Amino acid sequence: MNPKITGPELDEELRLRARFITLLVFILLLSLVMRLVHMQIFKGGYYEGLAQNNRIRIVSLKAPRGKILDRHGVVLADNRPAYNLTVMPKDIADPDSIATRLATLLEQDTKEIRQKIVTGLSRPYDPVYLARDITFVEMARIESEIFNLPGVSIEASTERDYVYKELASHCLGFLGEVSRETLKQASDGEYAPGDLEGKNGMERACETRLKGTKGIRIFEVDAIGRKIKVLSEHTPVPGEEVRLTIDRSLQVIAQDSLGERAGAVVAISPRTGEILALTSGPQFDPNMFLTPMAPEMWRQVIEDPLHPLENRALRGQYPPGSIFKVAVALAGLGANVITPQKAYYCSGAYTLGTNTYRCWKPTGHGEVSLKKALAESCDSYFYQLGEEVGIDTITRVASELGFGHPTGIELADEVSGLIPSREWKLRRFGKPWHPGETIITAIGQGFTLVTPLQVAKAMSSVVNGGYVYTPRLILSSPLRLERRLEVAPGDLDAIKEALRAVVEGEYGTGRGIRDPMFSVGGKTGTAQVARGYSSKLMDESDLPYKVRDHAWFFGFSPVESPEILVVAVVEHGGHGGSIAAPIVRDVIKGYYFLKGISDEQIFEGNR
Amino acid sequence: MSRYSKVIDNIDWGLITTVMSIVAIGLLCLYSSTRVTDSAIFFKQLLWVGLGLLVMFVSFVIDYRLLTRFAWPLYVLAVVLLVVVLGMGREISGARRWLSLGPLGIQPSELTKVIIIVWLAHWGARYKHIQEHGLRELIRPMAAVAVPVLLILSEPDLGTAGIILIIAMSMLLLLGIKKSTLVTSAILVLALLPFGWLSLKDYQRMRILSFLNPSQDPLGSGYHAIQSKIAVGSGGLIGKGFLHGTQTQLKFLPEHHTDFIFSVVAEEWGFVGSFVLIVLYLIMITQIISVGNKAKDRFGAMICFGIALYFTLHVFINIAMAIGVFPVVGVPLPFISYGGSFMLVNMACIGIVLSVSWRRFIF
Repeated sequence: MNPKITGPELDEELRLRARFITLLVFILLLSLVMRLVHMQIFKGGYYEGLAQNNRIRIVSLKAPRGKILDRHGVVLADNRPAYNLTVMPKDIADPDSIATRLATLLEQDTKEIRQKIVTGLSRPYDPVYLARDITFVEMARIESEIFNLPGVSIEASTERDYVYKELASHCLGFLGEVSRETLKQASDGEYAPGDLEGKNGMERACETRLKGTKGIRIFEVDAIGRKIKVLSEHTPVPGEEVRLTIDRSLQVIAQDSLGERAGAVVAISPRTGEILALTSGPQFDPNMFLTPMAPEMWRQVIEDPLHPLENRALRGQYPPGSIFKVAVALAGLGANVITPQKAYYCSGAYTLGTNTYRCWKPTGHGEVSLKKALAESCDSYFYQLGEEVGIDTITRVASELGFGHPTGIELADEVSGLIPSREWKLRRFGKPWHPGETIITAIGQGFTLVTPLQVAKAMSSVVNGGYVYTPRLILSSPLRLERRLEVAPGDLDAIKEALRAVVEGEYGTGRGIRDPMFSVGGKTGTAQVARGYSSKLMDESDLPYKVRDHAWFFGFSPVESPEILVVAVVEHGGHGGSIAAPIVRDVIKGYYFLKGISDEQIFEGNR
Repeated sequence: MSRYSKVIDNIDWGLITTVMSIVAIGLLCLYSSTRVTDSAIFFKQLLWVGLGLLVMFVSFVIDYRLLTRFAWPLYVLAVVLLVVVLGMGREISGARRWLSLGPLGIQPSELTKVIIIVWLAHWGARYKHIQEHGLRELIRPMAAVAVPVLLILSEPDLGTAGIILIIAMSMLLLLGIKKSTLVTSAILVLALLPFGWLSLKDYQRMRILSFLNPSQDPLGSGYHAIQSKIAVGSGGLIGKGFLHGTQTQLKFLPEHHTDFIFSVVAEEWGFVGSFVLIVLYLIMITQIISVGNKAKDRFGAMICFGIALYFTLHVFINIAMAIGVFPVVGVPLPFISYGGSFMLVNMACIGIVLSVSWRRFIF
């Protein structure tokens, strides 16, 4: 029972026992060697034969891509059945004769088909796609000859189908062949060369959700590569559906209203940040990217001076023009520089130092309060307010509204726009800020650049009581409150009333879209593109297209508790009030029409 | 001779030569098996070998006796990492084994194998006055081994858990166990076996069943085994030649750069190549055991024996798996299979053995 207490000889015991490990190692490894002798030397020929006749093929099965729906479940991006023509290079005995026969059947170039087969020979067990999405007639023709075409097979698959073609093309995006970078980062079996991946829009943003999981089919083939029997199969898991916040019908209205013009329209629910319609013009048909495009056609798309692929709603950067006056007013109220009642005098021009800044109305507006200043878009009022508030406050408030950084929408490649500041000017130009620059910043000219989506986000927070929400395009994305504006509620109401006067006031710059059926507030903007060509002095249509002003308008309705806010920008369109405002009206009208609410309920009173 | 040259002479150059030969063979095979699918793997492995040599040097320079002081902290670290990996590890095909450290992934269970060896060596050295352990003394080490083993089982990683158990049992046997205790524990293990089978996951049971009858489901879990056997057997006496293995080059064999890399050796270099590799492993393991035999203290000796067992089990299970005489359990081949943390752990082991070997001359 008592443990033996011993000296160093105890380690001798250990060494004795350690011999067992040596013995064990010898026995284990020797048994491996003996097994190898059996397998490699005695039965080598047998296994050699198995290796040569290895006719087990592994084919991955594509998962159907998830559909993209609008907020009511209308399918925007669907899948339709399609047929692809593939060959197994290993089973092609004579590439030339196969290529010739296929070329006649498909009415294609022999050389091109031959080239594809020959390239595939380096990886003989990977099927080569000769033609994707062949027509039914082509398929029938090949099917009738298939016994003559060893190694050739027709694979049933699905192709993306953008049901409404151009509709919401910038939201949906498009597919393209998987890039080298994606292939490198992908885990095993996730992507294969030639697969499609989302390149843009939702297709890209929700790639992982939409793409699903591939399946695998293992089958045995005969000597000429024909399938004998399926040995094992894992069915693919289809991609998930993605439901957008977009309302298809409203999107149609927005898109039709913008028409062929270059520009963007964003309709948003200011209470939630849900985007109800988002369009960018000119449109494109995402279906055209599904089959490999001829290089000259691709060049035509890429080199189009109007860049149809660009999503202007979140990548178009424009000077905000007078729309920015809302932000400056907010800065003035928040910093207690002005009250809604405070008036500035407009003589038609404002002089600072040696420079004179003109109001758009040469005869002047006289005594101007906040309401009149926004309603009639008086420049002199904002020159003076801007100077008093100072650039630092304007920069801060603009940034709080979300200008100068991406809005955080689910789509990739959003741009930041630009909110100038003292530090930025010094960094960018090596020169200090000039007081005159504050003056022009205050009316939305100068360095400032914004995107239509930023305007939608910022103005939503102004009209919804100060809540800055992240715009959302996916219905399941959670509501995200970024911040609350630090303004008294009364001040926001004052701004809202002033914005109502833009449309409903006697001299409002947006009075052209007044509608007895519903109340609308908003703000016009006319952003100068080139100095020297002032459209205020000349008739718009006499100016060359490139130097015409950008037309802006944002509007919301009903004014008291807005349900919808619409931003429209028309590139080189001219005046905001006459060009962009009608688009906003159309969309708001469409919104009510679709909502199917009786006139009494929408109409807020006899104003 | 100068003192300096003696320092150099006392390094176990024989062991280093054996290890480096195996590493070289491994790199050749890895190049052959990945050049078509992903050539970057070869260069990554080259980087891991470089890092591994650094780790080996560091663990050689450090006095291994310091490890006794760190036995408990290391043990706690291993358990913590295993808990963390269960909670927030990356899930790959149903198992949580990997921890993401920036761009790198580490497998805490790999680390645990060595830490358990250190802990048991430390425990054995502390109770060196006891020649034959009874059940009461064995409760502590068995509990200490059971905690990480259960954690690894729930990842689940059957192979690693089994290897740790076998290493631990063997080390305890080396330290001496009473006959009566041996009999009781054997009965206990046999009684618990059915429960173990029931607690296995479906795919683990499938693997064991398909090992017993591989042709029944050639493309399910038996697929690896059959394809690997074809690769090994078709290698013949002298092999198909470097870069000419049809099974591996043509992608019939998945995972051929990790768990099934031995089939690349066997297919391309034939019996001759496989034999040379096995003999190299045999030499390496006997060298490690002889270091243990010559060690000046019980702690050093036990560490060496533990490491020898560790390599023996990996080599045996991996090769046996590749030639179809063992179920597919996912055990890599030391110094040859692709994998960063595994390479580093292996190199650290060799470094510790070198440290034991070199320090027998100075105390």
